[in-house]
Amino acid sequence: MNNKQFLTELSGKCQMSAESTAQQVQTLIGVMEDLWSKGDSVSLSGFGVLEVKKKNERVSVNPTTGIRMLVPPKLVLTYKPSSLLKDKLK
Amino acid sequence: MNNKINLSQLAEMLAQVGGMSKTASEQFVKTFFDIISQGVLSEGLVKVKGLGTFKLLQMEDRESINVNTGERFTIEGHQKISFTPDAELKERINKPFSAFETVVISEEQAEQLGDDIETSYSEDPTADDVEPKVEPQVKDVTQKRITRVFLKFIVWILSIILLLGIAGYLFWPVIGSQVMDILNLKRFEKADVTVTTRQNPVVTVKDIESENRVAEEPVKPVEEAVQQPEATVQTVAPESEPAVKPEPAVKENVKQTKENVQFVALTKEDQAKSLASFTEADTVNYKVTGLLAVHTVQEGETLTKLALKYYGTKKLWPYLALYNDMKSINNMNTGCEIKIPKLAAK
Repeated sequence: MNNKQFLTELSGKCQMSAESTAQQVQTLIGVMEDLWSKGDSVSLSGFGVLEVKKKNERVSVNPTTGIRMLVPPKLVLTYKPSSLLKDKLK
Repeated sequence: MNNKINLSQLAEMLAQVGGMSKTASEQFVKTFFDIISQGVLSEGLVKVKGLGTFKLLQMEDRESINVNTGERFTIEGHQKISFTPDAELKERINKPFSAFETVVISEEQAEQLGDDIETSYSEDPTADDVEPKVEPQVKDVTQKRITRVFLKFIVWILSIILLLGIAGYLFWPVIGSQVMDILNLKRFEKADVTVTTRQNPVVTVKDIESENRVAEEPVKPVEEAVQQPEATVQTVAPESEPAVKPEPAVKENVKQTKENVQFVALTKEDQAKSLASFTEADTVNYKVTGLLAVHTVQEGETLTKLALKYYGTKKLWPYLALYNDMKSINNMNTGCEIKIPKLAAK
């Protein structure tokens, strides 16, 4: 399902125009982004948790060349599905 | 910070920003995530622009080992949902750490850091963290370096002592005879003096010649002393008479024989005696060519004094002992006659 399909389905279910749906989606993402940048996590029952996690810096080795690289720490948006959703998986 | 925002809170915020009613926005948010989860389950892939991609992954069976019991067991294949954030979103979220870049570690640094940089790192990601972790190892390295330097130092000292010992052993005949001269030979009571004085110098000179590159310092004076007479011989030989003039006693000898050169050399030696320190190397550079004089020993005279008198240097006393077949220096009594040999440079 690509973005277009997603938007049409969302607009159909919420009975909103495609334009406003796309706008609202971007606003929602913007709101969540503000939350994540503050360090908050977005937890939704039946879906899961979207939160920002800090990955520590590490030394990675290129296996072919043997060159060691110091990979800097970074903040990554992670998603952990809820147990309800997990149960639906095979 | 670190708050868990649930559906209603998120909907409230969206309502404030997006200009929708609270219920509508709540509905909107709910549908938003429902579609994602359903889409993932039904289609296996949902792409939301500005957020990212949700993907359903099929994991294969794999074998694992229970860490505690060591038993093998299979982890059965299952599905899992992966989420890859949108590149732009990813960048924006990582903004606080965007200044950091991947750095290639040189081999030296890698050795110093060791492996624990990967395993033991505290929460704070800044580079300051690297240093305290590294410090103990750096200390170790410096300690090792210090001990290495210390060991080298000890080895150096030991080798220097050893060298000094060897040098002392080799040059003992040279140094020793000087010491004996200073002691006026009173304690020199060995019966076979002539033998030792005759043989040892030969050995030492050979040794000196072969090793003069090894131990330069002690040899230099020897070489100078050895070369000096020869040098003067060469320079003085053509005009020996003017050079001899200041020494009337020697003058006669000069006229008599062809060995005038030798005596000029000796007198020169005599003049230089106070300056140059002679070694026993001199004593092996001459050979006996005839009888110079017969001397009746006076009270208090020694072989060295005679050598000094006749040759200008007391170093040549062994020739006197050798020439007179003296078994011991103590045999020289007042009134006995000592034959003084003529000496010529070899």
